[in-house]
Amino acid sequence: MTSSSQKLIFWTLVGISIITLSMPTIIVLGASVTSGNIIAFPPDGFSLKWYEKIAMARELRLALWRSLIVSTVCVIVSLPVGTVAGIALTRYRLKFVNLINIYLLLPFTVPLIGSGIGMMLVFGEWGILGNVWPVGVACAVINLPFVIWSVSSSAAALDRDLELAAENCGAGRMETFWYVTLPAVMPGVITGGLLMFVLAMTEFLVSLLLTDARTVTLPVQIYNNIRSIITPDLAAISVVFVVIALIAVWLLDRLVGLEIFLKSK
Amino acid sequence: MFMSDLQLDSASRAERSVAVSVRGVTMDFGSGSPAVKDASFDVETGSFLTILGPSGSGKTTLLRMIAGFQKPTQGTITIAGKPVDADPPNRRSIGMVFQKLALFPHMTAAENVAFPLKMRRTNPAEISGKVEKFLNLVKLDGYAERRPHELSGGQQQRVAIARALVFEPELLLLDEPLAALDRKLREEMQLEFRRIQKELGVTTINVTHDQREALVVSDDIIVMDQGLIQQHDRPVGLYRAPNNLFVASFIGVSTFIDGTLTADGLKVGDLLLPGSATPEATLGAPARGAVRAEQLRIGAGPEALAGCEIEMDGKVEDVIFEGERLIYVVGCERAPDIKFQIYHHDPHSFDIFEIGSPVRIGWHGKDMKIFNHDA
Repeated sequence: MTSSSQKLIFWTLVGISIITLSMPTIIVLGASVTSGNIIAFPPDGFSLKWYEKIAMARELRLALWRSLIVSTVCVIVSLPVGTVAGIALTRYRLKFVNLINIYLLLPFTVPLIGSGIGMMLVFGEWGILGNVWPVGVACAVINLPFVIWSVSSSAAALDRDLELAAENCGAGRMETFWYVTLPAVMPGVITGGLLMFVLAMTEFLVSLLLTDARTVTLPVQIYNNIRSIITPDLAAISVVFVVIALIAVWLLDRLVGLEIFLKSK
Repeated sequence: MFMSDLQLDSASRAERSVAVSVRGVTMDFGSGSPAVKDASFDVETGSFLTILGPSGSGKTTLLRMIAGFQKPTQGTITIAGKPVDADPPNRRSIGMVFQKLALFPHMTAAENVAFPLKMRRTNPAEISGKVEKFLNLVKLDGYAERRPHELSGGQQQRVAIARALVFEPELLLLDEPLAALDRKLREEMQLEFRRIQKELGVTTINVTHDQREALVVSDDIIVMDQGLIQQHDRPVGLYRAPNNLFVASFIGVSTFIDGTLTADGLKVGDLLLPGSATPEATLGAPARGAVRAEQLRIGAGPEALAGCEIEMDGKVEDVIFEGERLIYVVGCERAPDIKFQIYHHDPHSFDIFEIGSPVRIGWHGKDMKIFNHDA
């Protein structure tokens, strides 16, 4: 094959990927600024009235607030567990490493609807349903492997002698972990934390099962709205979601773009 | 004799104190033969010892046991008169430069150097003074605020040395930290290690597979192979009088000649080659003679070989040009299985024997060492 036809195929594939990946976002963005009363693309005129409407809508604001709480709880619960597990599995010689790995990845093997119903039953039994924070705990459980992976890959990239060097410098076990291992895997911890935040923010199925009218999160609230009437304010909410995700990516780049510099040679 | 300058006589050796004493240390990982077998040696205070050996010889295991990262299966290690077998690594007063340096990537050069002091609860004013002093010692003033990735390979080495020495340890361990550097930088850093070691007078144990490095930097060398100490000697002694075949072949370039040991020398077919046999070599047993490449002479005719007891006609089979010298590979009809490797160095002439040229080679009988050789 000639290089020009290779180039053609390459750029065609790139073009298709870019279009299919960005199309939903572009359509939603366009639809959200319509001045008409129905969702339409291309938009019918330009106005920010739908943003104004969602800003005024009390139930949406409350749902967003609850989703932020869910995400925060999820990060607080999953980060310490995932970080310690990720470090332990890559840097210390443990017995049954494979078994532990499989066990920690179990949340991925169970369909979300299954784990959602399971947790609904357990949380119901404990009488904690009807609160917002258990949704965060549930998100932490189902997405835990993401933090473990993120921290593990950071930890695996470090020089194996790093901890020995710390001990040689006079650091005890705890000091070695606190001053050397943990800071050195921080890029992975930050990546994992932001990932967990966004995943919990957008988690729908498990939220749907664990919330009631008083505790709906943003994705569930949007779903409820769709069921009644589809208006451009839904597109505006979706844009808010996209912006939250973009902020996370931006933060990631600012904080962990440093990762390549932090790696020890 | 020049030798006397390089070798301390036994009396003055005995006066020196012992910084590290290793007694009967064995490390058995339980898979096949032990990694280190019954190693015993002393390191004089302030001296620079190199443990030299090929990979898998047990040299790194031995170093890690001294550092406390691995517990010997048997034996005792004493540092500054105190047995350290029960002490974890962080309680031993040992600085170490790791093979891949293991600098803390999230800390600046100054923070890396300050770390051992911080762990020893030194007061902050003293820490900053010492960090400055040691960065100065390794010629890194002005680089204090750089992170390891912002420093060149040589500068990273210097940070690692400063970190290992800043708390004034009883002992400095070097785990092949120069192996990854290119040749020029490596040779520069070897001399730098030597300078710093002499300046501080810190007892040092260095591990390497590089025989040149060992000869250049060390006061003493231990040669290891297959977990056993093969020889412990001063560099000159080691080079001049290798104990056994392994040491003879690992250090320097030699031509080896197989035969049988007789009272008059090595018998190879109908040839009788005079030489000096090691005490272990037994008469009548298979033996192997070794002549160093620089001890072999080469010339167009007998006149170039004045004084050689052994002379042979040969033919140049290969010529390797190394810049400051040539290596000739010569085959001889009288010893058909042997390829003689001969260094040739003449700073005033670049006359080179072509491949296929007839030449005459020779050597002094005393230059051939004869070892036991189990064929």
